[in-house]
Amino acid sequence: MSSSPRTRPSSGSILVGIVAVAVVGAAATWVVLNGSQILQSFFPPEPKTVQGHAIHDLYDIVFAIAAVIFFLVEGLIVWSVIRYRRKPGDDELPPQTHGHNLAEVIWTVIPTIIVFFLFFVSWQTLNNVEARSPKPDLLVKAVAGQFQWSFQYLPAEAPPDAKPLFTVSIPVGADGGLTLPAGKTTHLYLSSPDVIHAFYVPQFLFKRDVIPGVVNQFDLTLDASDAGQTFRGQCAELCGIGHRVMLFEVHALAPDAFDAWYQGKLKEAAATPTPVPSGAANGPKLDLVAQNVKFDKSALSAPANTAFTIHFDNRDAGTAHDVDILDAGGTKVFDGKDFPGPAAQDYGVGALPAGSYKFECSIHPTLMFGTLTVQ
Amino acid sequence: MATTALTPAASAYRSGLYEWLTTTDHKKIGILYVVNSFIFFFLGGILALGIRTELALPGVQFVDGEVYNQLFTMHGTTMIFLFIIPMLVGFGNYVVPLQIGAPDMAFPRINALSFWMLPLGGILLFLGFATGGAASAGWTSYAPLSEDRALGSVGSGQDLWIMGLTLIGTSSILGGINFLVTIFKMRAPGLTMFRMPILVWTVLVTSILQVMATPVLTSALIMLFIDRNYGGHFFDPSNGGIAILWQNVFWFYSHPAVYIMVLPAMGMISEILPVFSRKPLFGYKAFVFATAGIGALGFSVWAHHMFTTGLVFLPFFSLMTFLIAVPTGVKMFNWVFTLWRGKLTFSTPLLFALGFLSMFLLGGINGAFSAAVPVDFALQDTYWVVAHLHYVLFGGSVFGVFAGVYYWFPKMTGRMLNESLGKLQFVMIFIGFNLTFFPMHQLGLAGMPRRIADYAANAGWNDLNLAASIGGFVIAASMIPFLWNVFISLRNGKIAGDDPWQANTLEWATSSPPPPYNFDHLPEIRSERPLFDLRHGRTGH
Repeated sequence: MSSSPRTRPSSGSILVGIVAVAVVGAAATWVVLNGSQILQSFFPPEPKTVQGHAIHDLYDIVFAIAAVIFFLVEGLIVWSVIRYRRKPGDDELPPQTHGHNLAEVIWTVIPTIIVFFLFFVSWQTLNNVEARSPKPDLLVKAVAGQFQWSFQYLPAEAPPDAKPLFTVSIPVGADGGLTLPAGKTTHLYLSSPDVIHAFYVPQFLFKRDVIPGVVNQFDLTLDASDAGQTFRGQCAELCGIGHRVMLFEVHALAPDAFDAWYQGKLKEAAATPTPVPSGAANGPKLDLVAQNVKFDKSALSAPANTAFTIHFDNRDAGTAHDVDILDAGGTKVFDGKDFPGPAAQDYGVGALPAGSYKFECSIHPTLMFGTLTVQ
Repeated sequence: MATTALTPAASAYRSGLYEWLTTTDHKKIGILYVVNSFIFFFLGGILALGIRTELALPGVQFVDGEVYNQLFTMHGTTMIFLFIIPMLVGFGNYVVPLQIGAPDMAFPRINALSFWMLPLGGILLFLGFATGGAASAGWTSYAPLSEDRALGSVGSGQDLWIMGLTLIGTSSILGGINFLVTIFKMRAPGLTMFRMPILVWTVLVTSILQVMATPVLTSALIMLFIDRNYGGHFFDPSNGGIAILWQNVFWFYSHPAVYIMVLPAMGMISEILPVFSRKPLFGYKAFVFATAGIGALGFSVWAHHMFTTGLVFLPFFSLMTFLIAVPTGVKMFNWVFTLWRGKLTFSTPLLFALGFLSMFLLGGINGAFSAAVPVDFALQDTYWVVAHLHYVLFGGSVFGVFAGVYYWFPKMTGRMLNESLGKLQFVMIFIGFNLTFFPMHQLGLAGMPRRIADYAANAGWNDLNLAASIGGFVIAASMIPFLWNVFISLRNGKIAGDDPWQANTLEWATSSPPPPYNFDHLPEIRSERPLFDLRHGRTGH
């Protein structure tokens, strides 16, 4: 076992050895310095929902068993490689072992037991994750279309195609996103008008496909302690050229704050919708077209200190766009209301001082933007 | 690469272009398969470098939207349908008739036809780049995105993709039938089923999978083509079709295809490990049953790609997926105990075979995470899945392919590959592979979805993505010593002789390269190791 006879190493293998030791040493140092962080990266994020906690617990069990098996077998491989090297000049055959029936039975039966165990634990967890509350506290339909999310808040016990009480159509930001009460159970319907998308929030450890022609549904219970937090969500099923910009946010509010927000939204919806200020169509008129989640222009120019109009033609059927104008510091100086295509509207923009501005679609800021020069 | 391998130094292969274009010799067709697959491997690799270049840093620097989607779609399609599967078929083509002591495949002309459909299918696929955009709905081409001309697949790329895959699929069916007849009807006297080399067994099971599963894919492709071009509504829910039907039919082929892509590689390392350990394969019969078991179970797990659809019966597919770990584990232990108490010679083929063992182990164990349905809810369609599939198909199959290249190159060309360059390539590709794909586990756990061209700079994914991109270029660099090795070895490589490795199976009983009719005479076959018996008599038994 120890001090097996070695041959004189060649200069090539000495070089390889030095490089290997250096690489392993550097890696080991790095691992020691960042130990806990590295360990954490092998686990999913801290879950924020009751269902997520169940999934994380299951992950821990699978991880523990997987780690033991991995180090056992990898250890056997490494041990064999080190221990059973053929010595130079050794022409004798090793024992010609053809197999061992008992060994085969052992490494068939034990893994079978392990996988049945894993199956039953994961089945149990699955039942918890898929469990439905008979009386959820809130009913929301998430609609995923190319390439944006909107969230329809439905009356209690309504079917998926019920008329929403109100709709949040901007998926990201303080006045958009999916706002939910912490500590309460929300029932979600998922619906897609076009292709397949997936509702995915990494911190919920959960995703569910949004499939056209089918309404998927699940329950989601945010931890009561998460009130005030915002979680990042994203479409997880390839849905076309704008797939990567299909972001959304989930805002967890304490029940009181949620009720206030909810009542405010109901009131907003009950008020007669104000028409988009198209009457202010004075000054020069700029044309802008949105098609296939792209603006047709990357540069616009307008006169300084004069009100002007943007004639915005949204040609993407079912997809909402808008035009916002941001100054050099990133402050919004004009906020156009979003609307779904195909439709056109005139945005009346107030007088702006000379300078360079950015215009963008607030729903698809990474795909749709350009420069507005005011002079 | 292509031209160098087409005109090797050895005299038996000093033949003209016409001979190569019209040959029905299984050995030449096998070499054509291997060379063709390598060409597509490099093309697919260039596409992968495009992906890794874009993802190295947050922000869009290089490609976005439609072009990025074409890159990963064509990368996946090329690597699976034009590299791994045909590469393994190529080795099967070259080695199987030799290993069973046959003069050729059962149907030599069909064999040539199967091969020539591949470059044609490949050209059709890549033609998309020249006709307004290649396919861009992912290699899985989920409907209805793959039917959507407005925001999904513009141009004719998706139609060319369908036609190319139909051709490649037809090639696969014909090849499978050819192998089955060859293996069942053309074995040499004395070569009973349980004396067949393991590679032959794995090709046998793979062929059954090909013949049974590929027609299902073809039917899905035809339905998609009708939907796109002739107003069909198979997968179009707005007209009464079912979106999820595509996934069921597609994965009914494409999950068994995973075993089509890995079983022959398992067979190859099952030839190599015993030779370089100087021991027989541990548990030959268990290994055969495990191979058959994987093949059979492989047909009952397709929906584990669809756990998050909410539309499949989860417990059944979860259990079947877990169960597949059992025969796979049996194989793993048999390989390890083939090494155990052996006398190991660390030639390049063994290094790559060990690479297969240690990396496939990780890819296989990872599968258990996705089999646990709720855990899959967290991992599905994230970079975790990308890591998992590359540990199986790159860590497994590609390492197996290189093991096979170093092992059978002497038989194919009569010359040895250079050992130092081979080891250099192994070290580079091993490091590059792990640097690229290991961090993807962590990216996936942290929530990075696959198939996105960009990510937020504050998402915490920057370092891991950069590491993966550097690794990608290390893999690319490892091809330089490989190609140089092939180039110089074809000219000046050490003459191999009939049996440079002291191997066990019949292909080493004839000259290197073998004559067109393969064997002058065959040794007596009394076990699965006829050449070992010839060298050592019955001492080992």
